[in-house]
Amino acid sequence: MNEVLAEIYSTILPSAPYIIAAYALIWLALLVYVFIVMRGMKKSEAQMAVLEEALAERNAKTAR
Amino acid sequence: MSETKRRAAKLPEAGQWPDRIAPWMLLAGAVLTTIGFLMAFFYAGPVNGAAVDGVELIGGQMVSSKLLLSQKIFYFHMPVAIVSFASLAFAGYYAIRFLMTKEQRFDTCSKIGMEIALLFVVCTMVTGEMWTRFEWGVWWTWEPRLTTYLILMLVVIAYFVLRSAIDEPERRATYAAVISVIALVDVPICYMVTRLIPSSIHPVVLREGGMSADMGMTVAVVMAGMCMVGFGLYRLRFRQVRLAQRVEAMKEQLED
Repeated sequence: MNEVLAEIYSTILPSAPYIIAAYALIWLALLVYVFIVMRGMKKSEAQMAVLEEALAERNAKTAR
Repeated sequence: MSETKRRAAKLPEAGQWPDRIAPWMLLAGAVLTTIGFLMAFFYAGPVNGAAVDGVELIGGQMVSSKLLLSQKIFYFHMPVAIVSFASLAFAGYYAIRFLMTKEQRFDTCSKIGMEIALLFVVCTMVTGEMWTRFEWGVWWTWEPRLTTYLILMLVVIAYFVLRSAIDEPERRATYAAVISVIALVDVPICYMVTRLIPSSIHPVVLREGGMSADMGMTVAVVMAGMCMVGFGLYRLRFRQVRLAQRVEAMKEQLED
């Protein structure tokens, strides 16, 4: 590569880690948030199923 | 229909039409931002930096300055910043509605809006820092936009610190709503500061001639995608919070 081309492209490689980090961190932050929300949703759904069962049992006992 | 039922029917609730479109919005947002990512590197033209000693023909064009790859960060940096402002606007709107009605559901909506805002504020800060570190060789500079945005981020963090410090629900929601409104007031200041105090780091790009057509198109695609991602995340979190609230209500019912 001639000297002028080398100078034109001189910032490309040094800036690459910062660009990769910027894009990767955005997606990481969004994915972590989605993961936390989904985990909370699954936990709440499991709790809801148990509670609904307990409530139905209690109502059945009261009816008897 | 009784007054209580009529009021409850008007409140935002999980399972309404926005929840039905939210997963599709999230998916469309992911697709659009991926397209935007590809456009940033393969469609939008490179931005030139300092002049070099000579001229070279690259891709049919005469180039006489350094090509700045770091500018590609801008295509995600600006849209995430705009979505953070939009989230704060939503949070502020629900905070005002809470202050007017004292209805806890609006506090829930405002809190989730602030959460989404914090997420996008962090994304904006991270992308901005990466650019600043490479182009300016520093992690931080007290430039007007950076300073006002830092203040905004601290207000959003203060919102969550305050929430975790107060146990009584109504007092917590009232104080939090006030902080949310303060954050909302900071949004136009933060947005307009580059117009009021011009700076070379943050040029005004949302104006006629601020961006070339290819840059504008790329930003528009990422912006649309990020707005959809923000909306999808908001509804997903809202559904989860409402479910958790119903679990708590059911626990109380069983304890009685």
